[in-house]
Amino acid sequence: MTERKVNDIGGLPAGPVCQDEHPNTLHEKRVDALLRILSGSTLKAFTVDAMRRTIESNTEDDYRNLGYYDKWIRAVRDLVVEQQILSRAEIEARVELLRSKHKKVAA
Amino acid sequence: MSSNHGHHHDHDHDHDHAHGHDHPHSPPAPDDDDGYDRYEVLLQTAIRELLDEKGIITAAELHAQIDKQDSLTPAIGGKIVAKAWLDPVFKKQLLSAPLKTINQHFELDITTPLELVVLENTPQVHNVVVCTLCSCYPRMLLGIPPAWYKSIDYRSRVVVEPRKVLAEFGTDIPDDVEVRVSDSTADLRFLVLPNRPSGTQGMTEAQLAGLVTRDSMIGTSLALQP
Amino acid sequence: MTAFTPRPGQALPVGAPVRVRQQPPEPHCRTPFYLRGIKGEITDVMGCFRDPSLLAFHKPGLPMRVLYRVRFKQADVWPNYSGSPKDTVVADIYDHWIEPLAGEKA
Repeated sequence: MTERKVNDIGGLPAGPVCQDEHPNTLHEKRVDALLRILSGSTLKAFTVDAMRRTIESNTEDDYRNLGYYDKWIRAVRDLVVEQQILSRAEIEARVELLRSKHKKVAA
Repeated sequence: MSSNHGHHHDHDHDHDHAHGHDHPHSPPAPDDDDGYDRYEVLLQTAIRELLDEKGIITAAELHAQIDKQDSLTPAIGGKIVAKAWLDPVFKKQLLSAPLKTINQHFELDITTPLELVVLENTPQVHNVVVCTLCSCYPRMLLGIPPAWYKSIDYRSRVVVEPRKVLAEFGTDIPDDVEVRVSDSTADLRFLVLPNRPSGTQGMTEAQLAGLVTRDSMIGTSLALQP
Repeated sequence: MTAFTPRPGQALPVGAPVRVRQQPPEPHCRTPFYLRGIKGEITDVMGCFRDPSLLAFHKPGLPMRVLYRVRFKQADVWPNYSGSPKDTVVADIYDHWIEPLAGEKA
């Protein structure tokens, strides 16, 4: 167990704060909404603490380089599997189905 | 991309991508990140579809949550601050029992995971909030946090060199004023109560609320001068 | 210094000088590295809450822990702090990460 996890970054060297903003995209809003409902008081599929714990299990590279909502949706994936709500296999099968469907249409 | 939804039944929420649409609170967002060539977009769609098919989270429930979150903006926080500037009794109650006071006065039903803490700026103390460990933020009062609040750079630096970070936001705090950084390490939520700007005598509550920016309630900026 | 873990209802007072413990972090840890071993002062007793390090693994998070707000002088936290000597940082720390410093000024 390392003394300092990948998310424990207070005081580490970093760069200027980029202040660019854009309203959340529909994709980002959907990620956020999925997380809120799954961790909310009705479904209680997993705790927000578990979300954080899952995100903290990223490698340092992934933690720093994956987008914020990318980390969230991957954590949602891992937790719905961990909590046996969906299986990894059915998720990835649907991902592949969607990928091939959208490839055809984009052509 | 918006025409490729096949059996998706949420065309009415594709306002981010139809540039001709007149959306009241969401100008067209960059859609380069929303391409279905990205694994995470496919993943989000896959999970969303599967949960809907299994009746765990329906598309309607997801829309409702999106709409609910979209309705939360810094205007809510601004009203609270303006009232606190004008009404010393409200301010005292706000500081000692924030959530209860806000819900009572504004007839809201806001909840936080643990507690809400209101941090009052004074002539002696300037407060600024961060979550170094993740991105805890008072979404119920300020809406979704800006990307910079969630960034590695802000979270790393504002605890160790707050004045330099504040300067990047155009905010200079004199050396004889304490800069107090609150690191949101447990599930508390923090709202900074900025100083009331000078030259605002006689302004109405609504006018005062217009001076209260989101960043002044995080602490990276001051409220606007009239 | 003896370890001291208050039961719910039994908490350190506001103003008490304390030090953040240096101990192996839990698998999910909410006590930041930069504050470990640093002396500070309790400014608020926020109440008793479930332990997030246990909630993170879907355990009940019991026994509840007292949550404190603890204020630190920036000059005590960072060797070469470049801001004002008045500057402080305040963090929210659970009781099992805090030891009281009897008789010492923060």
